Amino acid sequence: MTRALMLSTAAIALLTGAADARTIHILMESVPDTRFVQEVVPEFTAQTGIEVDIEVVNYAEMHTKLVPQLVAPAGSYDVIVVDFYWVGEFTKAGWLQPLDERIAASGFDTSVYFPAMMDLVGRVDGVVYMLPFYNYAMALTYRKDLLEDPAEQAAFAAKYGTPLRVPQGWDEYLKQVEFFTRKPDLHGVVNQGLRPDPIAMEWSNYLFARGGEYYDPATWEPKLTSPEAVAALEDYKRNVQEFGPLGAASFGFDEAFNVAAQGKAYSYITYNFFRTAYDDPSQSAVVGKMELAPVPVAGLNGGWGWAIPRSSPDPDAAWQFIAWIESPEIAKRRAALGGSPTRADVFADPDLNAKYPYYPALQALLEGSKNFPVFTYTPQFVEVLGRELSLAVTGEKEPAAALAAANEEFRALLRQDGKLP
Amino acid sequence: MAAGLARRDRRFGLLMAGPGLAAMLLVVLFPLVFTAWTSLYEFTLLRPVHDLFVGLGNFAAALDDGGFRHALRVTLAFVVAVVLLEFLLGLVVALALDSVERGRAVYYAILLCPLLMNPVVVGLIWRMFLHPTQGIVNYVIGLAGIAPVNWLGDPAVAFWTLVAVDIWHQVSFMVVLLLAGLAALPPEPYEAARMEGAGPIRAFFWITLPLLRPVITVTLLIRLIFAVRTYDLVYIMTRGGPGNATDLVSYFIYRQAFVTLNLGRAAAMSLVLLAIVLLLTAWLHRYMRSLRA
Amino acid sequence: MPDIRLEQVSKVYPGGVTAVDAVSLDIRDGELMVLLGPSGCGKSTTLRMIAGLEPITTGRLWIGERLMNEVDPKDRDLAFVFQSYALFPHMTVAGNLAFGMRIRGVPRAEAGRRLQEVAATLGLTELLERKPGQLSGGQRQRVALGRALLRDPVAFLLDEPLSNLDAKLRAGMRTELIKLHRRVGRTMIHVTHDQVEAMTMAERICIMRDGRIVQVGAPMEVYRNPADTFVAGFLASPPMNLLDARIEPEGAGALVIAHGLRVPLPGALPPGPVTLGLRPEEVTLAPDGAARIALDTVTQAVEALGPEVILVGALGDPRGPEVSWRMPRDFTAAIGQPVRLWLDPTTVRLFEAKSGVAIALSWPKP
Ligand SMILES: Nc1ncnc2c1ncn2[C@@H]1O[C@H](COP(=O)(O)OP(=O)(O)O)[C@@H](O)[C@H]1O
Ligand SMILES: [Mg+2]
Repeated sequence: MTRALMLSTAAIALLTGAADARTIHILMESVPDTRFVQEVVPEFTAQTGIEVDIEVVNYAEMHTKLVPQLVAPAGSYDVIVVDFYWVGEFTKAGWLQPLDERIAASGFDTSVYFPAMMDLVGRVDGVVYMLPFYNYAMALTYRKDLLEDPAEQAAFAAKYGTPLRVPQGWDEYLKQVEFFTRKPDLHGVVNQGLRPDPIAMEWSNYLFARGGEYYDPATWEPKLTSPEAVAALEDYKRNVQEFGPLGAASFGFDEAFNVAAQGKAYSYITYNFFRTAYDDPSQSAVVGKMELAPVPVAGLNGGWGWAIPRSSPDPDAAWQFIAWIESPEIAKRRAALGGSPTRADVFADPDLNAKYPYYPALQALLEGSKNFPVFTYTPQFVEVLGRELSLAVTGEKEPAAALAAANEEFRALLRQDGKLP
Repeated sequence: MAAGLARRDRRFGLLMAGPGLAAMLLVVLFPLVFTAWTSLYEFTLLRPVHDLFVGLGNFAAALDDGGFRHALRVTLAFVVAVVLLEFLLGLVVALALDSVERGRAVYYAILLCPLLMNPVVVGLIWRMFLHPTQGIVNYVIGLAGIAPVNWLGDPAVAFWTLVAVDIWHQVSFMVVLLLAGLAALPPEPYEAARMEGAGPIRAFFWITLPLLRPVITVTLLIRLIFAVRTYDLVYIMTRGGPGNATDLVSYFIYRQAFVTLNLGRAAAMSLVLLAIVLLLTAWLHRYMRSLRA
Repeated sequence: MPDIRLEQVSKVYPGGVTAVDAVSLDIRDGELMVLLGPSGCGKSTTLRMIAGLEPITTGRLWIGERLMNEVDPKDRDLAFVFQSYALFPHMTVAGNLAFGMRIRGVPRAEAGRRLQEVAATLGLTELLERKPGQLSGGQRQRVALGRALLRDPVAFLLDEPLSNLDAKLRAGMRTELIKLHRRVGRTMIHVTHDQVEAMTMAERICIMRDGRIVQVGAPMEVYRNPADTFVAGFLASPPMNLLDARIEPEGAGALVIAHGLRVPLPGALPPGPVTLGLRPEEVTLAPDGAARIALDTVTQAVEALGPEVILVGALGDPRGPEVSWRMPRDFTAAIGQPVRLWLDPTTVRLFEAKSGVAIALSWPKP
């Protein structure tokens, strides 16, 4: 049934795709950076005469919409944006066009991108398939006003014997979570416990913060049964169940953000692009009160890359667009609108630094973040991990048992991918 | 002569019906055959070719998959709950509406609204309403002094939340069909029963219910089949969680196809589901007929 | 058993249709009363008000000494047979018959016995396990009757129970119903628009028109002395010939004159226009009787019905008003041929020209 659906959409795509050669079609997620792109594209059309049609959908729909188009001989999208955890799958399946020749031919400078971003959503096995679009490295967002309140500082110091400050270590952060839990008006933390990707992404921070790893980088041997991983899951569960608001086990990032933006949570580990939203009075009751810091020890890196699918009806126009949207001038314009940069030249821009005083913190964050395992079956691993984490959080499985199950399935997927014997 | 004519008639009939039949075969049968064929291969979207024949391997793997079996169990509970509750509620509402003389069109319009809504929208709206701290539902029950409920975050509650939202969304389907059935009932048997001294309760059990049985059977069957296919609602509201409390099988199979990209496995699971639905349908049909005796 | 009495009973349906207008009627215990009238005259409504299926707008309904207006149908103790039979389609014949007894809690054994009895009377024994869908119209009719018979009601109310049957079956069922009435001896109110049915079955006929009662009486009484031109024209086929006429004084008495036909009348009547009514069977081919009056009819059609022949023609001359006469079965006449007939003047009826109400005539006793 699904296959038939796929074939028919592919057929429709085939019929409509070729009809208007000078319009490029892009599928994007409904996030702030997409809005900023939409704001600048009229200039591209004015300069080149190429119309840009951006289809904006929910993250949850993107993979489903993309796959049939990518499998088809001619799809309906000229340009796509690729989440880092699809990279392994898309490149393995051969759905993306290598960009090296086009980069060389048009003299595009890729050295400005942070190497970590390039590794995440740029280069795979030495071939450039994508240009990093924006980053969504996760950060600790916290209530600066509470943290800097002398009364709170005194109470905290009295209770824990350590000063209240931007947390330098994971334990320090956990203490703050406990300290600021004053239900029902304030919770120490809000979590995004919805499966699969919200919980999996968020918990990755806990894992890295505890000093754990997904796998041994040298051998790809999974390491989810390590004491650090178990401790990370126990931390996560306690935060959701004891220090978080009711329902956090089912929150997506928007719902969790809402709680934080209503001032009901002291902290929220989330995608850094929410930082600007906290200062938007239309969505936030804590304007000027939230600040961003790197997750203690290390957080999770994330990002999207621009790519041209093999099935792109008009790859030349597609490249023209990508080169334009990633040109230094436009990249800075997007950043000025509130985008999340991936490049050193943007972070070095004095105007932007004046506008966004947290840029150094953000840059430190990008440089210190760790990556989620990227391999062919990343989406499936996210699915598995999300399920097991959710089972543990709701108390249906012991953390150790849940991680053991996730570990085994992770191993099986790595074997299937040839990463493990 | 006559036989020849009959034969010619038949041939003409086939000729006329031919294109329609062929189109139907293509539309209905082709995907089914394709699914069956695919289910016998290791066929993934990463390697979409039928070159690795695995026999019934996909079926064995499907049945061996604890997650799949769990999804089947959750789905069974979900289907039984929504179909039964929607039927009972729908019948009560239909009976109440059947006696309304004025403004029936208004009630119809109000009732049809949820039904006309896209399930994705329904899911999003309810997710908002059911937000534990910012949702209107907990706010309202809070006014009545009831402690906030963790609608979607507690595995024991989430299942019933999903059932309730589905009822909200789909109960009108039952109401509308049952109402049409009620409206089509002849008035005379009721008058005859009244003359014989039957009150409204007896008239309901002895006349309405038996006369309505064909409509009820069809309504239940359609609803059952659609309930098995429920997917958007879980997808939007819970993603099968928390834990795997609401992991309905359609969503499970969807993930097999589009996350795992394993279409062969997904096809096998679809066929297992199809077989179960067919069995359920046959059983319900037989059961409803046996009630007559 | 008590009488059933309607006092100035009216029914106005929501929407303002006055279906029944101030009807007063006494139905005596054990009587077979037929409500007769054209379709839409309010017969069913009257019957349904008696049954309690339709609330009474104004007026009173009595059964015996009890005022019934607000009494629930089940407490009126009446049995109703519907025009469409109103069988329970999902129940067998036996189930249909037993329905009422189940509700009234008749013991199983007794219910079974009575069911067999009634089924035998109505010839339904072989059909007990069938569903209504597998029965013919006549069989369904009998089931509906059987359902009523299994009660022991104050009265049977039958709403056109024969109208869905074919002509032959109808005649048979008519006789059955008469026999049945005689056997059970209960009041029966039978609604029909078929005057033959009414004439053959009724002990008394109540003729209705536009929601009102026009005339109540024994069939032959109503037939002989219709209360107005409507009744005169409604009963029998062919109906009474109704002719525009005028009265003129003639010595001590008077004459009624219609297109050359002159009939002497007893006593003095005010001169002026009237309607003259002549029953088709009241003419003969021979003047065997002193007082008969000659009457010419120009033949337009001769309809042989078997036992009799209907002569349709123009009165007096080819331009005269149309009249029909009943002739003996061997009568023949060519089209256009004048036929001389003889009329007994005492059989003529007069009606006021405007209102159509009957004018009383007092013939001296022979
Ligand atoms: N339920 C009703 N609502 C409104 N008018 C009705 C209804 N039933 C009957 N009537 C009207 O009342 C009049 C008498 O109807 P009815 O008693 O059925 O006549 P009959 O049985 O003599 O044919 C008709 O004009 C009919 O249209
Ligand atoms: Mg009637």
